[in-house]
Amino acid sequence: MAGGLQLLCLSTSSGVPLYCRSKGESRQLSFSVIGSLNGVHMFGSNQDVLLTSTSTDNCRVCWRVFHDSITLIVMSSEEDASDLYFGRLLENVFNAMVLVIGLDDLVNLKNVERLKRELRACYKLIDSLLAASDWIGDLTMCVDCVASPDAAVLQEALDVFVAAAESNFGCLMVMGKTVVATEKWWRLTTQELVLLALLVGSLAPNSSRDYPIYLPHGSPTVPHRLLTFQLVPGVDVCLLCGPTPSLQQVQTELVERFWSPVLECLKTCLRVHQRSFLASINLHHSIVGLLLINREQNKNIFTLQPHADESSQQQGAVLLPERRRSVLRQFYTLAVSAYFPADTSEDQPALHEEFHTGFTHQPKECYITAADHKCYGLQTQQHQLFLTFTADTPTFALRSIATNTLGLLTKELPF
Amino acid sequence: MVKDFVRREVLTQDEAVSSSFLMRSEDAGVETPGTLEDSERETVTTSSGAHPEPGSCSSGDLEPEWLDDVQKNGELFYLELSEDEEDALIQANALPVSYTNHVRFSDKEAEIITDHKSKKPCIHDHKLKKLANVLKKKGLVHGHSCKKVNEQRDNQPPGPVSILKHHPNSKTRVPVQLSYKDVLVYINPNKVNNESLTEGVKLLEACVGIIHQPASKIPADKKHFNTFTDAKTTAGEKLIVQSLVHGSAAMKCGQVFIGDVLIAVNDVEVTTENIERVLSCTPGPIQQEILYHYPMADASKKLKNIRGIFLTLCDMLENITGEQVISTSLLMNGKLVNVGYWKEGYNLLLIGLPAERVALPQLKNMIKNLVRTLQYMYNSLDSAFCKLENVPRLNHFFNLYFQRTIQPAKLNCSSSSQFDSSSTALFLDGLPGVRWLTLPQDIKMDIDTTLSDLESADFGELSEDFYDMQRLYMILGSCLFFKGYLIGNHLPKDDLLDIALYCQHYCLLPLAAEKRIGQLVIWREVFPYQYISSEEPIIEGYQEPKGKYFLLIVGLRHFMLCVVLEAGGCACKAIGNPGPDSIYVDQVKTILLKLEGLEAGIQERLTNPSTPYLSCADRFIPPRDMFESLSSSPIISKLQTTSKSTQSPTSRRTLFGDSNLRMRKSNPPRSNSTSDYADERFGDSGSFNVDFDSYSTSNKIKKHLRSEIPGSGGSENKKKQRFPNPFYLGSMKKSLPEAESEEIYNIKKLTSGSENTLFHYISLETLQGIFITPTHTEVAHLNGSIHSQLIKNFHRCCLSIRSVFQQTLDKRAKCSDIIHNSAQTLRKSSSGLGPVKEHGILFQCSPENWTDRKKPPPSMSYWVVGRLFVDLHPQEFYVCFHDSVTEVAVELAFRLSFGLIT
Repeated sequence: MAGGLQLLCLSTSSGVPLYCRSKGESRQLSFSVIGSLNGVHMFGSNQDVLLTSTSTDNCRVCWRVFHDSITLIVMSSEEDASDLYFGRLLENVFNAMVLVIGLDDLVNLKNVERLKRELRACYKLIDSLLAASDWIGDLTMCVDCVASPDAAVLQEALDVFVAAAESNFGCLMVMGKTVVATEKWWRLTTQELVLLALLVGSLAPNSSRDYPIYLPHGSPTVPHRLLTFQLVPGVDVCLLCGPTPSLQQVQTELVERFWSPVLECLKTCLRVHQRSFLASINLHHSIVGLLLINREQNKNIFTLQPHADESSQQQGAVLLPERRRSVLRQFYTLAVSAYFPADTSEDQPALHEEFHTGFTHQPKECYITAADHKCYGLQTQQHQLFLTFTADTPTFALRSIATNTLGLLTKELPF
Repeated sequence: MVKDFVRREVLTQDEAVSSSFLMRSEDAGVETPGTLEDSERETVTTSSGAHPEPGSCSSGDLEPEWLDDVQKNGELFYLELSEDEEDALIQANALPVSYTNHVRFSDKEAEIITDHKSKKPCIHDHKLKKLANVLKKKGLVHGHSCKKVNEQRDNQPPGPVSILKHHPNSKTRVPVQLSYKDVLVYINPNKVNNESLTEGVKLLEACVGIIHQPASKIPADKKHFNTFTDAKTTAGEKLIVQSLVHGSAAMKCGQVFIGDVLIAVNDVEVTTENIERVLSCTPGPIQQEILYHYPMADASKKLKNIRGIFLTLCDMLENITGEQVISTSLLMNGKLVNVGYWKEGYNLLLIGLPAERVALPQLKNMIKNLVRTLQYMYNSLDSAFCKLENVPRLNHFFNLYFQRTIQPAKLNCSSSSQFDSSSTALFLDGLPGVRWLTLPQDIKMDIDTTLSDLESADFGELSEDFYDMQRLYMILGSCLFFKGYLIGNHLPKDDLLDIALYCQHYCLLPLAAEKRIGQLVIWREVFPYQYISSEEPIIEGYQEPKGKYFLLIVGLRHFMLCVVLEAGGCACKAIGNPGPDSIYVDQVKTILLKLEGLEAGIQERLTNPSTPYLSCADRFIPPRDMFESLSSSPIISKLQTTSKSTQSPTSRRTLFGDSNLRMRKSNPPRSNSTSDYADERFGDSGSFNVDFDSYSTSNKIKKHLRSEIPGSGGSENKKKQRFPNPFYLGSMKKSLPEAESEEIYNIKKLTSGSENTLFHYISLETLQGIFITPTHTEVAHLNGSIHSQLIKNFHRCCLSIRSVFQQTLDKRAKCSDIIHNSAQTLRKSSSGLGPVKEHGILFQCSPENWTDRKKPPPSMSYWVVGRLFVDLHPQEFYVCFHDSVTEVAVELAFRLSFGLIT
């Protein structure tokens, strides 16, 4: 199986498979293989040994158990199959399940067949986690943002709209990327924010939705309502609320009233979203991919088309977008797992090696040069910046381009 | 199979999670292991006292002193330290060491077991002794102070001798010989017929064939055995063999005698009280799927219990992916453990190591090297693990192996413990190369001619004419080490690496580096990698002779010469297991004596700095008290880019003379000097240059370079001292004739810019299987607290850089395998990060214990850059330099390899 990923979900106690999702060209695993994969893990835990991962040259398997009730196993022969990615993927998948069907049903497995049916509702969200297309938040555990030039106007519009709907939690999204959100919205955990954005981005386009959700950390057992309204195609405003107001009420009374005055701004957002920031910010022509992370706010800006349209045509020939994504994701993984420790406040013991703990001095910047690209990463107190360059960029220029870019972006963007 | 384990001693195995075992993945074809033969084990002997003049060895009349140590299988491991080293050891032993508190050796064996278990032997002991202890613990070393014991040992398995050995006062007690022995007895509980059991016959009798009557029935004996009864064990009585059942397993093995005491079965201590229970739990022959298992620590037993996981994963993943499993990670007792796999035929070798010690990418390399070492010594894993007589040897082997990987400092195995941290050792040991010392051309030539003389084997006793008979061995080639550095090599790369791995494993190189060896003679049959790995002929139409290969290592003082010999081919066929031939040993010794004439020259090269010059990292950080106590420190510094720049202490100027106190305002070209974001945030990172005075400008450069500054000891007072940096030329160049000094300086400096910003480097040439890196002396010269941290950090970082490179190299190897499938090759090469050529990391450091809260600590930034040259024979280059100059790694590597290696 070359280049594929399989995600298995089983009931920990009985070993009954709950679902299986896959990506790429992998074949469905046979029942006996699924049984063995679960069996070795179960055998280990009976002996007080927690099996975490195993790997062959190209394939990697990772096990995680959640709440002693759900076992997730991922098996991947993709290049980005790192401990870091697997750890975050499995965490996200489980929380996606909580988000959609709530923790109670997952912890107290009474009717497996019913649970299986319920879990079908998560497939879309899980598949979009596996696909990892236009977003990188699933890997960075940061909220993918779009820096709109009209952020102030939109923020104001959102605040009054949310207040009028008698909620505190509201957010404006363009293609699953957050443009502006209310202060309370930002207080949700990063995991919830990432999943909510993914959920909105992964659902089929609809003019409005009323979707019951559980917040994996804030409210895992009591559902809330997620209301979304399409303002222009691709741009949705989301509300998190209790039993009131009704969808109908908001749709008819509030949406039109608060959002029609800022229609132009919304359309600008749509134009900006591919690049995630304004065309007026000119980046160095050798940059083909950019990821800027605000470490304090857990937000990131991610783009694979950092240039205005005319030059991107030419850039596309240098490195295909698919390849750019994979390179940037892997460079991020390398840098974060080896050099720039993520701020983890997890109490649980490390499930994979933490290489950076062995350094006596602090890593600040790093780069690689490969056959078809170069990458540069740097970390400051507040930001992390990862850039992909064309292969013909001189290595000695990478650093100055990177520091200049960071300076420019932090100056120009409210980030 | 039951291992009747009459315990000899308990190894002080650490609680560290480490384990190795080898098992059959299929039950088919398990050979029935034979009885353990004692006395056939690798023997290391240290002896002292009247060792003969090395020169006299060549006279054939005298029997060589190592002759008695040659084992049945022809192998020899003979080590004799030089007299002064011995004295040091004896002195270390004679210190009032409170061993008596640790190991109370008495005639109560149980006490030894319990006591010894919890104590680590003599931690504060002399360094080499630790190495020796490890060997001793395995019962492989006879001590120099226990001759009597040695003699008795001839017909006894090594017993508590090792415990006695630590005991300076123990000589008087030597006669109290307790012989503990491991006896392997084959039993099959399934075969014991039920009838006899129902009749009340005990399992001990039915299964094993040992008859023991409860002591109460024979009160006369009880008194006699009191001496063996430990006061603590009141629960049950000792199991004394009172008679043997005729034809039983115990009798067949021929090693269980009447009067012996059964102490443990399969590592479980037994008494009359629990013996039946223990035996009834003995599993049947199914246990045989484990061919070898080490050590017997708790963590390791746990791994053994879950071996089903590894076997299942190995089979299953191979079926699904068609690839071998490399590793499994698991959490055990709150610790992450990495288990590495190696499959050879039906056998599976598993090594478990704590993840904090060995990360996954290194584990893969380590297993590869381990297997290669075992193959070099035993031909294959199968022949290493499936012969029962190898068990004690393997125990010794893995004891060393785990000590080396888990506690290198304790074993003092890293080449120089003072400078080499565990990551240093981990990185350097993992490189596919041997540490090479560049030498002046004339010395190198002398070495090469001398080695060629030996290899030609056409003179003296080695020539066929001398005895008028076919010679015994062909000399295939040799390699020469001095103080652990390779200084001459006439072997193909693979042979060299084989030898290097063997020497690394037995810690021979650091031994020669730190101790003067009186005499070292090692002889064994080996199975070189290039012959066992290549099935096709190396050259078309030519077939390697199907001969036997032998490794002869002879060491004298700091020299060590390794010679690969071939029997068969154009030399005699080797029959059986021939031991070392004294003619060859003497010839090698003669060569070594000849080479000793070059020692002074080589030593000079070692003590003098070589190209390229290095800088001390501490030099780039202003000392803590710089601002306050400039007058007490002869260091003049200059902050370049900030307004904090200090005032020049003019008072000192007159004292030292103008030429010494030069305020230099160098402005290194920096790519980011204009709007350096990092600099804004972190202050003057990397823009801090400190200039130092030198003592005398009238001396010649060379003399200056050689001058060593004494007392560069503690890191605390060092800050106030002038920084001992004999390589630094910065301030002197002006005072010398301009042209001359510039020239010398530029040749010997690797980095660009006016300052020498090079801190450390490693250059690996896989074509020749060597790497070069600054010598220990050079690193010692740059002794500074920041600098030593930097060296550690550098190696740690190299580990991570190299693992990125290895993905490239692995992929490349795979691509060449499937070159015909071009579509797949394309796919592979464009996935992942792709072939990575260069990888660099910028580090920032500040002095430790910065107390001044008002000012942020001064900091210094430096790069660690790795560069991979993917060629037919890949080269790797790792360099560490200060951040002030933008360096192009390719250029540095180019300059280094053309300046040094050729």
